[in-house]
Formats: sequence, structure tokens, C-alpha cells
Amino acid sequence: MSTTKQQPHQSTDDPRVTLDRDLGVFEPIPPYPTRTEREAEFYTLADGEMLINMGPQHPSTHGVLRVVLKLDGEKVVDLDPVLGYLHRGVEKLCENADYHQAICYTDPLEYVSALFNEWAPVMAFEKLLDVQVPRRAEYIRVLSGELNRIASHALFMGWMALDLGGLTPILWSFIERDEIVDMLAALTGQRMLFNYFRIGGVNGDLNHEFMSRLGDWMSRATEQIDNNMGLLNENEIFVRRMRGLGTIDTATALRMVMSGPNLRATGVPFDVRRAHPYSVYPELEFDIPTRSEGDCLARYLLRLDEVRQSIRIIDQCLHQMPDGPVMAKLPRLLRPRPGRAYAAVEGPRGQYATYAVSDGTDQPFRMRIHDPSFIHLQAVGVMMPGHLLADTMAIMASLDPIMGGVDK
Amino acid sequence: MEVKPDRAADALVTTDPDVAARALISPIIVANELWQAADPLAYDGGRESDITHLREYEASGLGRRDDARWGGVLEVIPTKADYVLDLIRMNSLWPLLSGLACCAIEMMSTATSKNDMDRWGMFPFRASPRQADVLIVAGTLTTKMAGPLVRLWEQMPEPKWCVAMGDCTCSGGRYKRSYSTVEGIDRVMPVDVYIPGCPPRPEGLIYGMMKLQQLVKDRRGHWPDRAIGPTVPTDL
Amino acid sequence: MDRAFKARLETRFGATLTGPVRQRHDETEMRIGAGDVVPVLTALHDEPDLHFEFLADLAGVDTGEVMQVVYHLWSETTPDWLRVIADGLSREDPRVPSATFLWKGAEWMEREAYDMFGIIFEGNRDLRRIYMPPDYASFPLRKDFFLPDDAARSPGGGVRPMERTQAPSNVPTTALVRRGGA
Repeated sequence: MSTTKQQPHQSTDDPRVTLDRDLGVFEPIPPYPTRTEREAEFYTLADGEMLINMGPQHPSTHGVLRVVLKLDGEKVVDLDPVLGYLHRGVEKLCENADYHQAICYTDPLEYVSALFNEWAPVMAFEKLLDVQVPRRAEYIRVLSGELNRIASHALFMGWMALDLGGLTPILWSFIERDEIVDMLAALTGQRMLFNYFRIGGVNGDLNHEFMSRLGDWMSRATEQIDNNMGLLNENEIFVRRMRGLGTIDTATALRMVMSGPNLRATGVPFDVRRAHPYSVYPELEFDIPTRSEGDCLARYLLRLDEVRQSIRIIDQCLHQMPDGPVMAKLPRLLRPRPGRAYAAVEGPRGQYATYAVSDGTDQPFRMRIHDPSFIHLQAVGVMMPGHLLADTMAIMASLDPIMGGVDK
Repeated sequence: MEVKPDRAADALVTTDPDVAARALISPIIVANELWQAADPLAYDGGRESDITHLREYEASGLGRRDDARWGGVLEVIPTKADYVLDLIRMNSLWPLLSGLACCAIEMMSTATSKNDMDRWGMFPFRASPRQADVLIVAGTLTTKMAGPLVRLWEQMPEPKWCVAMGDCTCSGGRYKRSYSTVEGIDRVMPVDVYIPGCPPRPEGLIYGMMKLQQLVKDRRGHWPDRAIGPTVPTDL
Repeated sequence: MDRAFKARLETRFGATLTGPVRQRHDETEMRIGAGDVVPVLTALHDEPDLHFEFLADLAGVDTGEVMQVVYHLWSETTPDWLRVIADGLSREDPRVPSATFLWKGAEWMEREAYDMFGIIFEGNRDLRRIYMPPDYASFPLRKDFFLPDDAARSPGGGVRPMERTQAPSNVPTTALVRRGGA
């Protein structure tokens, strides 16, 4: 396994072994003099308040998120999320890669809904290159994207219940997700980080394995969703815990620049697929579910409504699928003319967008990734004060953040 | 208890009569005349601790040594007690919930119904490191997270094992050239099993955990003597 | 591509624009100076016939000579995305007024632009690092921050053999990294 001489690692229980940094004591919070107004305001404790550190490893955070909570007894007075524990430098890495390679870096950002992470950069690069995507490829993109949306919402349902303490729904939702993800593996070759969309189309055409699994699943889909919903929607504990929790109103949501289901649950019917249509969505019929309460229960039920709409879209895609190539003819070395392009798609969490700047070479000059989970985590600071400690996880789960996207 | 100056002799058998009476079967000790370790200090070669209080503590015999502790190759023929202990450890490895990124989703998928890790006793993902046996690091390790992760590793009581799941933990993966990732967790902690893949399929994770079970059973885990360090030359 | 919208923008903001309004596909782009950010964004947000209530994105860009802050806005009055580029920030001391007075959600996006580029947003109550550790000294997305992959382009040139773009013979042996394991 190793050809170099390694130093033996002694037992860490041995007090002779010390690391470079002294890990014995928790560093003072914050470990540096406060530099901004907000920090000073946050870290000044009033009488009876205390600071509790939650994370970065915690059973309920959706990845590595550290939240410093200011508590007054059990009630949360204020909170300060600390990000960056998963910051992988994707934007910088994309600047040193080809246009094709840059798309591979964007997959694992919101890893649960990987196709949308690829869709926005691919659309931005296609705008820079003035590429016309064949219609069959667009339909396949919509089809696989909506399947990924259903898989993502199924996972959301499981996580929502897991963060409230229920262990059964996550098993049910992983059954759903495994079915869909195996279907997509038959299509794209990978279970999770699909790497399927290419500039100018998709990687491969639909195949028999995928179509047979899809047909089989579609025949059972609605019934299965009703079963899964029946598990939780009427559950008194679930409903009473979530109703009225983390309420946010329309004006605040717009000020916090939220998008996606979190914004639609407050009553604003803003969906990028209808507000700024892209791909073949203008030809497809679907509704935009909206709810007006703006609390956790509304966000939860709204995502389940979206699953039904996604099934409707998949049905139409299957019926309207045109023939043709799945990939536009492009040279291997892509050199767009200098310019800028912005493309946004509606992901399961919100508006997922890419701003690409090209300087005429074969590498993107700047690839800025705009991620909805990043924006929605700010809203947690608005929603949470006043609620109890046990509700923090419910609120955070209902916003459905994925730390890969938050931290890039 | 009388002070025993030669540690090698009593390394494996406690002389406390109560404990000895309660032990299942005492292991058969065969003096090692066939093989010599290259490093005389390896395998706990009878060295005394140079920390005063530890030395005195061990010499006083008040501490109870682990009966199943393996002192070296060929020295002890494991008997049934050791075998049972190994089976116990191997079949109830409790992972620590330490999913960092995408591989965590595949880890969860492995733990749920379709690929069930509970078949091998690994379902309870403990939230507290004090209760966990194996740290499955799933996801990219960044420099900011390295401190907390090593702190988690330190907090886990021995015996403990570490599994590097996914390309990012094996070698940095697709983020190897980035300014903020650690190129493989073996730079900061000793790793027992590397599971490549981006992300590894649940079957791959299960294969890796079964390999770990084999390691535990054959006691090649040898936790005190593992090495930290990159396993590729650093001047590449 | 909304031609009428371009005309509307030019009549409304003609004096403050530092370049022509450009349109491409479904985007309209206007450039302003750093000092005009507050009046322009307020006008875009508040005026009823513009009504750009939705800030889609706030990004920093380092062009190598200057820095820019790029805002993307959406409104139901036009089918285009509007891109507002606050151009001309110096690379040594980039300062721009903050947009948090209009959209509180811009706070973290500005923190990210500060963390990655060093752009100071005046008026942001919480301008500290968001991704990198608080004691980190550089700004990673600047063009003078080079990754190991890119080291060949940096002024010092790459040191390790893989970073060199020319033949290995021009690597001075003293520049090779230390040997040794862990």
C-alpha cells in the first residue's frame, strides 16, 4: 500500500501524543475580536442568555453546518450560522478547466439533485456558444430533471421526519429514491452524481432498461406517493409540531431573496419555469402549486404537490418525445467569443443559476454559481428567533438546504 | 500486588486471582522464537512508558490489562475467548454519523432498506463519538473541517477504526487541486479501509465494511501501531 | 430580447451608464460606476414600471485589470434578465455600496464576494469571511491567486515537475520539494 516510510502513529489515548494545535479546550467564541456590528451584537450576551454551538457534526444538520445559537433557556434568541466546512473551491477549479470539465465540478454541489447543477452551467455555456440544443435532448433533459426533482423531494420528506425524530419515513423515502435513482443509473450510468448533461445535449439516448423501469414505476407512482403521504400528513404529532412553525411572510421572503418552494409557500407563484421559461417548458402543461401560510407544514405539503406536477410533466414528455439526435454537433475544443451569459433553472430548492464570463479562450474566465440553499440559510436567522431549541431542526429541515451547494 | 519488572511476561495474563478465576480460558502463550520484528520496539516490545505516572500505574498492577490484547505475531494462539471477543467486535461495528458530503447520501442509502447495513449490525449510527466504533468519513474533507474531524477521531474510544469512503477521502478526489481541501484523510488520521468511488455504490461500501470486518477478525487492525501519513510520495 | 426595454433603460438611466446597453439572447446588460449603485438599484426596485423586486444573483468578478460587482435582477415587466455591472472598482481597494438596504438576502452574497475577492461593501453590517476560516489571509478567486494546476501561469512559474509546462530540464534541482514520507 505504501512505499514511503511512515512514522508510527501511537495511540491517541497516549498523552505523549500531541497534535500541532491544542485541541483540548474549545476555542473561545469567537476566537478573534469581533469585527463587524452584527458579530458584536450577536456575541454580547444579555442576562440569562448562553451560547450553544451546534455542529459541524450533528445528527441533524444536512451536512456540515455549524450554528451558534444564543439561547435564553430553551428559547432561541438569535443564531449565527458558520459555513465553509465543505468549501471545495469549485469556482476557482472551474476557471482552470475546460468548458466540458467545468461541468463535472458542478455536479456534487447540490448532490441530491445533481442534474440541475449541471443544467444551469450547460445552458449558460450554450448561450455563450450560441448552440441550438436538439429538441429530443431538451425533452430528455426535462424528463430526467423531473425524475431527479421527485427523488429530491422524496429525500426531503424522509429528512423532514428524521429531523423531527421519526425513523420510519426515511426508510420509506429511501425506497422511493432508490427506485428512481436506479432508473437514472440505467440512463446515465451513475446513481447520484450523474454527469449526464453535455454542452449541446445529453450524453446518451434513452435505452430499453430505463424505459421499462420508468414505465413500471409510472404505473405505480401515484399510488405510492399517496401511501407515503398518508404516513405523515395525518400524523397528529407531525402536523402539530410543524403548523405555525417558522412562519415567514411574503414581503420578508422577497427581501431575503428566497425562491423555489420556500417562496411559493408564502403565496408568491414565482417559478423560473413559468416566469422565465427555458428548455421546452413552454410546451408542457403543469400548474404551479402555491400555499399561503408560509410555515413548515406549508413548505412540506407544497413539495408533495410539486411531486404530483412532476409526474404530470414526465407523462407529457413521454407522450410528446420527438425523434432526432441527442447531441448537437460541436467541436471538441470549445472557444466561445468573449461575453457573458446568465442561465437559471428551477431546481427542487429554488432558482439555481450560473453566470459565466468568457474571454475567448478554452477555459471559462469566471464561473459564478448561484445556489438557492445558500440564500435560504440566511432566512433561518429571520425565522428561528422565538422558537424552541427542538424546533431549530424542523425549521432548518423545512428549508431543505444542501450543504454542498451552500458551501460550494 | 507485587511489582512485576518484566512486562513481557505478564503482558497478557493478569495475575489478579479474582480476574483470572473469572476469565473464560486463559490464552496459550508460546514464546516467540521463530520470528523477530525488525523494529525491536514494535508490537509493544516490553518498553516501559516514560511518563512517570503511567509507568508507576502499570507497574503497580492496579490497572487491568486487556486479556485479549495481542502482543505480537505468533506469540499468542488465540483461544476461544479471544475469538468470541473478535466476533463481537466485528459484528457490531457502530459507525459514527459523520457524513460530510455526497457520499453521506450513499451511506444513508446503504443503511436503509434496500441495501441494509443492519444485516451486519451497523445500523445504529451514533451521534456521539464516545459511543461509536468506526468512523466512516464520507465526503470531502476541507481544511476548515479537518480540525473538528480530528477532534471527533480523538474523542472516539479505542478500539476504533477509520474507513475512508469515496474518492475525496482517499486522495482528494476531483477536488485535489483546490486550495481548501485536504488531499485524503490519511494526512490527518490513520485509515484502515479505503473505498474508492464517486460516490461508491452501496454495494461498494458494504464490500469495504466487510473487509473491515475481516480486518477486525484477524486483528490486523492493530490500532496502536497504525501510521498517519500520505501513502503516495509527496513530491508528485 | 426586449428592444423596448433597452430603449426604456437608456432613456431612464442614460446619464449614469458607462457603456451602451447590450442585449444577447434573453439578457440585457447595463454598466454603471460604483458610486451610482445605490440610486440605480433603488430606482430599479421602487419604480412601478421597472419593479425589479427579485435579486437573482450578486457576484464579484475580477477581470485582471479591474473588479466588478454584477447584479442580476428579474421583473415581471420584461421577459429579459437584467444584468447591472458596477464596473471600474480598483483591484487594490475595491469598494462598493452595499445592497442590503433593499434586499437583506444580499448580505451573505456580499460576504462571499468579500471572502473571495476582498471587495468591501460599505453598509453591510456583517462583512466577514463566510467560507474561509476567519484568519485566512488571501482572497482565493482573485486572478493573482494561483492553484497548483495553474502555477505554470503564475509569475514564479511552477516548482513541482508536474506544474512545469516546459521540459523538465529547466527545473532547478534546488527547487524540488522536500523528500520524506508523512
